[in-house]
Amino acid sequence: MAVSLRAKFKKNKRLIPFVIPAMLFALIFSYLPMIGILIAFKENPNFGRYPAIEAFTRAKWTLNNFKIIFSDSEILHYLANTLTISIMKIVILFPLPVVLAIMISEVKNKVFSYVIQAMVFLPHFLSWVVITGIFNNLLDVYGPINNFIAVFKENPIYFMGEPKLFKWLVVLISGWKEIGYSSIVYIAAITAINQQLYEAAEIDGANKFQQIWHITIPGILPTIMVMLIIRIGYLMDAGFEQIFTMLNSYTRESGEIIGTYVYRLGLGTGSRDYGLSTAVGLFNGIVSMILILLTNAFSKKKFGTGLW
Amino acid sequence: MKRVLSILFLFIAVLLLASCNNKTNADSDNINYDIDLSNKPELSILMPYSGYTIDEVNNDPNARIIEEITGYKVNYTQLPSADASKTLNNELMDKRHYNAMKLTKEQFADLVKDDMLVDITDALNTFGKDLLANISEESWDVVRLNGRIYGIPERASSDNIEYPIVFNQDLLLESNLDLPETLEEFENTLKVLTEKVGKPALTFDKYTPLIYAVSSAFGIYSDWHEYTVNGKTEVMYYMNAPRYNEYVNYMHSLYEKGYIDVAVATNTSSDALNKFTSGNAAAVACSIWSVPAIVSGLQANNKITAAEASGTLDDYLCYLRALKENVSTEEKVYRSSGYTYITAIPYYEAENAGYALDWMNSKIKDNEGAHNFRLMVLGSEGVHWTYSAKEGYLPIAANFSEKDTASFYLTGSNENRYTEYWKARVRKQAELYRAWSTLMKDADKVGEYNVVDFAPVIEDYNKNRSAIEEYAQDQFYVMLREGSNKLGDYRNKLNGQQGCTKATQAINDWYKTYKK
Repeated sequence: MAVSLRAKFKKNKRLIPFVIPAMLFALIFSYLPMIGILIAFKENPNFGRYPAIEAFTRAKWTLNNFKIIFSDSEILHYLANTLTISIMKIVILFPLPVVLAIMISEVKNKVFSYVIQAMVFLPHFLSWVVITGIFNNLLDVYGPINNFIAVFKENPIYFMGEPKLFKWLVVLISGWKEIGYSSIVYIAAITAINQQLYEAAEIDGANKFQQIWHITIPGILPTIMVMLIIRIGYLMDAGFEQIFTMLNSYTRESGEIIGTYVYRLGLGTGSRDYGLSTAVGLFNGIVSMILILLTNAFSKKKFGTGLW
Repeated sequence: MKRVLSILFLFIAVLLLASCNNKTNADSDNINYDIDLSNKPELSILMPYSGYTIDEVNNDPNARIIEEITGYKVNYTQLPSADASKTLNNELMDKRHYNAMKLTKEQFADLVKDDMLVDITDALNTFGKDLLANISEESWDVVRLNGRIYGIPERASSDNIEYPIVFNQDLLLESNLDLPETLEEFENTLKVLTEKVGKPALTFDKYTPLIYAVSSAFGIYSDWHEYTVNGKTEVMYYMNAPRYNEYVNYMHSLYEKGYIDVAVATNTSSDALNKFTSGNAAAVACSIWSVPAIVSGLQANNKITAAEASGTLDDYLCYLRALKENVSTEEKVYRSSGYTYITAIPYYEAENAGYALDWMNSKIKDNEGAHNFRLMVLGSEGVHWTYSAKEGYLPIAANFSEKDTASFYLTGSNENRYTEYWKARVRKQAELYRAWSTLMKDADKVGEYNVVDFAPVIEDYNKNRSAIEEYAQDQFYVMLREGSNKLGDYRNKLNGQQGCTKATQAINDWYKTYKK
């Protein structure tokens, strides 16, 4: 069982050159920049005027950046908003691409299947500003949906200004935009399942649903788990662009997330507060890392599959 | 294996070195005075977003006139419409070659604080004699930091009263109503109009928490104004103004009664105008510069004909400048002014600052010998304008649209002449001119300025400005719906966390010296 590292190394010697480019890539683009975390503990270095290292050494050490982030009594409220929206998105939206992928893969008419795929992918390529604009118009007080509602009800519903509806709207619109694109991975995974399994199941008398439940789903479960873990890694990012374009004075209270809050804190005005933004990035990174570790441990224990 | 590792480490070391060494520190804040101004280099100028493509900007007739006047060939670059300041910062970090940059007041404040701009105080005496002669001392104060000048201020064309409530005159006439003058009349007018249209009468957009035409009746004329509370006089932000709660309660009651569009908090400017021009709202609070959009909107909705659109619309539109608390109170309202743009030179281009200053200097020149500034702003006599002793400069409609983009190319305005020239631009559209003249009647008597319109770079204000404004804006719309019960809490948050106390303190410190 216990193969020594050395022996392993020796055995796979020929594969090592293939790993080197990937390692270099990770080193240069992921590990080296981590030195920059130190900026979080600096009083806004003036990178505009001085060369990087001089600007860095000129700036004073400080914990102020963290104090600013945590001084707002409502930071916990915003953190809660972030997690609520993220979890809602995962619980409601995560399974849907899987369902969609299974449905698409069961379509026998190839042309129809491609048309459907193209249609559901399309919204992904529109920017959030455009999408929010579309829904603003649809849901406007004098818009088509309210015109329809007017048949049953006297007063129009002010969808975009209703704090209670905000989180649901975020989930709904995000789903409309991303479900199609997210299903690509699963469609690919389903294609990789051995067709003989289905033939055998058919001979054994399994109906379509039994086939899906006992072959397709177990077949793509590892993919689902990996996607889930990756998705949870982004838990702290509840969709900055989307929420930023959707927020307004009424929905700020129920919709402000860490990302939009920090943007308003000072980055939004174009001021160059590198220290503060790095501090926020670091905070986000730490929370995300903890979440990934926990999910991975859970997934390994429960399903026997994980990222490492 | 060892070899692979050592190569790897070497590679990283080189990378690290390269990344640290890509900039040499600039020791180039020294302006070169020994330059030959007759040998003019091509200038590269960074502009704000124009709304046009950069090719259009570079080939605009106005750009060509400037080239003729100054003798400098100019290559314009513009910032993007989104994330402009971020792009600006990146360009500066890369030390892109820009002889001068036309900056917003906020961008200027941000850069000057970080020592990124050239101190041009002494160079102005050599290269900027006309700049010094045609820009007032008051304006130079705005671009001074610790007594030194870092940019060329561009003063607003004219101090305008420009935020009316526009009413649908048709509906007023049908309902037998005059333009309201007092708060009571205003409420009654909205009531009648709401009943008539069957929809809330008044609309505005999500960026208008302080409707000057209404807030003036409560003594709140501008964003930052002097108030006397308990015998102490100081400048305060409007949300802290003594009678702000009365304003909020008044607006809240209008909202509750259904006279205000429920969606104001999400209306973009064009949403609000569309509601008005399509007949969904009977009145809109907007800027006077939206009048051309209103006219074309009315035309698009077939409310007026093309022929009517080119004349005045006395039968369709009327403009409420400001409400009074009651009949006997004096009418007062916000009159805007100040500096939209400041042109400055990045520190690493100091050596060539002379050329940039010389270029700007010849643009502003306007005397018997050379009417450069007039050529830029108005064009040529007989082609773009005619002069009448009674009315001043009058545009020649066929050609004047060519000058629409002229103000974009300004880098500092000739304060002795600009207002006079600029009126020709308002005259371009008959209805706009009517609106402007209506609002500007007795402007000197009625107008109240915003204190900070004349402020120099005040760091505590500049740093907190957007937080303060956004917070006050949000809370207004929240209170429009729920009333002013929580105003105390909101003020505490505004003053503490959003930094309004610090900003107020800093503004007052400056204002004391300014008033002297």
